[in-house]
Amino acid sequence: MYRSQRLALRYFTAAIALFGVMVVAGLLSAVYYLQPSLLYNVFDFQMAKILHINTLVIWLLMGFIGAVYWFLPKELGREVVGIRLAEVLFYVFVAAVLVVAAVFVVVQTGKSNQFSMWFINQGRKYVEAPRWAAAGIVVVVLTFVYNVTATAWQARKMTGILWVLILDLIPLSVLYLDAFPQMTNMSQDLYWWWWLVHMWVEATWEVLIGCLMAWTLMELMGTPRRVVEAWLYIEVMLVLGTGILGLGHHYFWIGTPQYWLGIGGFFSALEPLPLLGMVVHAIYDAGTHHMKTSNRPAFYWVLAEAFGNFIGAGVWGFMMTLPQINLYSHGTQWTVSHGHFAFWGAYGCGVIAIVYLVLQQTRKATEFGGQSWKWGFGLLNVGLLGMVGGLLVAGIVQAMYERAQGGSTLQAFVVASENHWFQSGMYARLVFGALFAVGYAVLVYDLLRIGRRVSAAAPAQLSTA
Amino acid sequence: MDIEDPRFWRAGAISTTAVMLVVLGFLTVDSLALTRAGSVRVPGYDVINQHIDYTYDWSRGFDVPVIGAPEPLFADVYTLAQATALMDRGKLVIQSRACIDCHTFFGNGAYYAPDLTKAWLDPAWSQIWMPMTGTKTRADAMVEFLMHPDRYPTWTRRMPDLHLSRDEARAVVAYLKWMSAVDTNGFPAHFGHIQIQN
Amino acid sequence: MSETALAVTAALLGLFVLAGGAYGLIYGAGMLRSSLLMRRTAVACYVSQLLVAALVCLLSPLSTAWKVFLVCSAVAYGFIPPLMWRLLESMHRQPTRSS
Repeated sequence: MYRSQRLALRYFTAAIALFGVMVVAGLLSAVYYLQPSLLYNVFDFQMAKILHINTLVIWLLMGFIGAVYWFLPKELGREVVGIRLAEVLFYVFVAAVLVVAAVFVVVQTGKSNQFSMWFINQGRKYVEAPRWAAAGIVVVVLTFVYNVTATAWQARKMTGILWVLILDLIPLSVLYLDAFPQMTNMSQDLYWWWWLVHMWVEATWEVLIGCLMAWTLMELMGTPRRVVEAWLYIEVMLVLGTGILGLGHHYFWIGTPQYWLGIGGFFSALEPLPLLGMVVHAIYDAGTHHMKTSNRPAFYWVLAEAFGNFIGAGVWGFMMTLPQINLYSHGTQWTVSHGHFAFWGAYGCGVIAIVYLVLQQTRKATEFGGQSWKWGFGLLNVGLLGMVGGLLVAGIVQAMYERAQGGSTLQAFVVASENHWFQSGMYARLVFGALFAVGYAVLVYDLLRIGRRVSAAAPAQLSTA
Repeated sequence: MDIEDPRFWRAGAISTTAVMLVVLGFLTVDSLALTRAGSVRVPGYDVINQHIDYTYDWSRGFDVPVIGAPEPLFADVYTLAQATALMDRGKLVIQSRACIDCHTFFGNGAYYAPDLTKAWLDPAWSQIWMPMTGTKTRADAMVEFLMHPDRYPTWTRRMPDLHLSRDEARAVVAYLKWMSAVDTNGFPAHFGHIQIQN
Repeated sequence: MSETALAVTAALLGLFVLAGGAYGLIYGAGMLRSSLLMRRTAVACYVSQLLVAALVCLLSPLSTAWKVFLVCSAVAYGFIPPLMWRLLESMHRQPTRSS
C-alpha cells in the first residue's frame, strides 16, 4: 500500500468519526424544538447547530481528501509527492478540529472584537470556525493541492480525470478565502458567502465527487476510462453550465438586483437535468452488470448517490426554486428538508461508497457483502427519508401560515411553529433522526468488520483445498 | 470530433464554464455596485436617522422599504461616520454571538428563531415588549430585551442571554433598523399584514 | 400567492421532476430488459410529466413566462433519456437488445 493510501485510511477514519459527532449534534438540535428549555443558557440551540453543520462540512471534506489520496497513487503509478508533510498536517487538521469544537462547547461565543473572530467564533454559517482554524484549513488544502499537482508533474502524466480534478481544486481552495472577511454590509457579505457555499456544494464539490465517482466506477464496474472521462466532461458541462448562474437562486432576497429573480430561477430550474442524466447513467451501469458486483455495499451506495442526488437536490430543489414559491419557502424548514436530502444524496452516499470500495481492497476480500451493510444502508436511508419528510411537512406549514398568510412577523412565526402539523413534522424528524443514528452505529460496526471474516477464513479454506 | 469522443465533451465543458463565468463576472460587478451602502437598493447607514416603512409598490408588485421623515434613533442624530461605526459594531456583535445560527437575515441562517430582515418593523415590540420592559420607544424595548432576553420571554422557545452590553445592544438595534431599509425584492411578503385566502 | 396555491404549485413542480425521473429510470430499465411494457410505462410517466406541466399552467398563478419555460423544459425532459441511452451505448459500444 502506498503511504498516501495509508493516509487515506486515516482520513476516512476521522471522517466517519466526525460523521458521528454530526449525528449527535443533529439529534440534540432536533430535541430543542420539542424541549425548548433543554440546557437553556448552558448549551443552546445555536451551538448544537454550529457543531452539526461544521462537522458536516469537515467530515465530507475529509472523505474527499482521503479518497483523492487513495486513488491518486494508483492513477499515476507512484507515491504522492510531499506525503510526509500531508501526514503531519493530517494530525494538525484533526487537532485543530478538536480545539475548535472544544472552544465551541466551552467558550461558545465572545465579545464583539477581533479576538473573537480570530480565536472563538466568527458567526458566519458553516464557517463559524475562528480565523486561526480557517488559516489552518487553508494550509491543509493548499498542501493537498500541492500533493496532487506535484505528483502529476513528477510522474509526467496527466489523465482527463486528473485535469478536471486539478482545475477544480483551484477554485475550491480560492473560494474558501471567504471564510475570513468580516463585512458590515450584510447584502455584500451574503453575496460573497454564497460564492463559497453554493460554488462549493453546487459546483466545485459536484465536480470533485464526479472525479471520485469516475475512479470508483472504473474500479467497481470496470467501466473503461474513455467512458468515465467523457461522462465526467458531460457532467462538468451540465453541472457548471446550470450551477454557475444557478448561484442566482440565492440572490433573490438579499438586496441584490431584481434581474436575479429571472436569471437565478431560470438556471436553477435547469439544474435537475444533469441529475436526470446521472440517473439514466446509473441504470445503464447497474443494468449492464446485471446488478452483479463483487462489492455490493459500494454498488448500492453509488446507486443511492445517483438517486439521492436527483431526488434530494433535483426534485426537492425544483419544488422551491422558482422565486414565486421561494418567496414563501425561504428561511423555513422546507430549506432544511432540501439541504439534508441534497447533502446526503449528493455527497454522503458517495463518500460511504468509496470507503466500502477501499475497504474491500485493503482487506483483500474477493467477495464483499454480508447482512450488516444492508441494515446500515436501510436504516440510514429510511432514517434520512423520514427526517426529510417530517421537515418538509413542517416547512410547508411555515411557508403557508407564517409567510403566505401570516406576514412573517414574530407572531406569525409562533403561530406556524405551534401548528399541529409543524409539531408532528418535528417529532417525526426526531424519531427518524434516531433511526438514522442507529443506522450510523450499524454502519460503523459493519465498516469495522466487513471483509475481515472472509480474509480470515480464506487461509483455512486454502489449507483444506 | 464525434460525440463518442471525450474531447468533444471536454471542449463543451471548457466553453460552457468559461461563458458562464464571464457572465457571472459582469453580473457580480453590477450587483456589487448596486448593493454598496448608499446605493438605491442598500441605503447609507445614516438611514437610521429616518422613519422606515414597508409598503406595497404597485409598479413592482410587492412591498418595498419606504424611507420617510426624520426619526432619531435613541434620541440621537448620527452623522454618516457615526452611523457607519455603529453598523460596524452591530455586525461584529451579530457575528461574535453567532446570531445567524438561530435567526435568519434576509432569510439566510438558522430557522430556530424568527427572521430578522424586518424585525425593526415587527409590531411585537410595541405591543408586547414595550409594556413588558416599561420603555417608551421601540428601540429602547429592543435594547432591554437584547440585554436580558431571559427576563422577557414570550414563548416556550426563549432567546438565551448572550451577555450583550448596552452599547452592543444599541449597535444591534441600529443594524436591524438599517437592514429593514434594504430593498429585498419584496421579502418577506406583506410583512406585518395577514392575508386570508378568499 | 395564497397559501393553497403555494402548496399546490410547489407540489406540482416537485411531481413534475419526479415524473421526469421515473420516466428516465423506467426507460433505462426497459431498454436493459428489452421490455416493451416497461418502455410503455416510461412513456406513461413522461405523459404524466406533461400533464403535470399542463396542470401548473392551468392552476398556478405563475406568470406566463414561467409557464412557457416549464413547458419547454418538459419537452427537453422527453429527449434526455433516449439521447443519454444512445450516447451511453455508443460510448460503451455494447448495444442492449431492443425489440
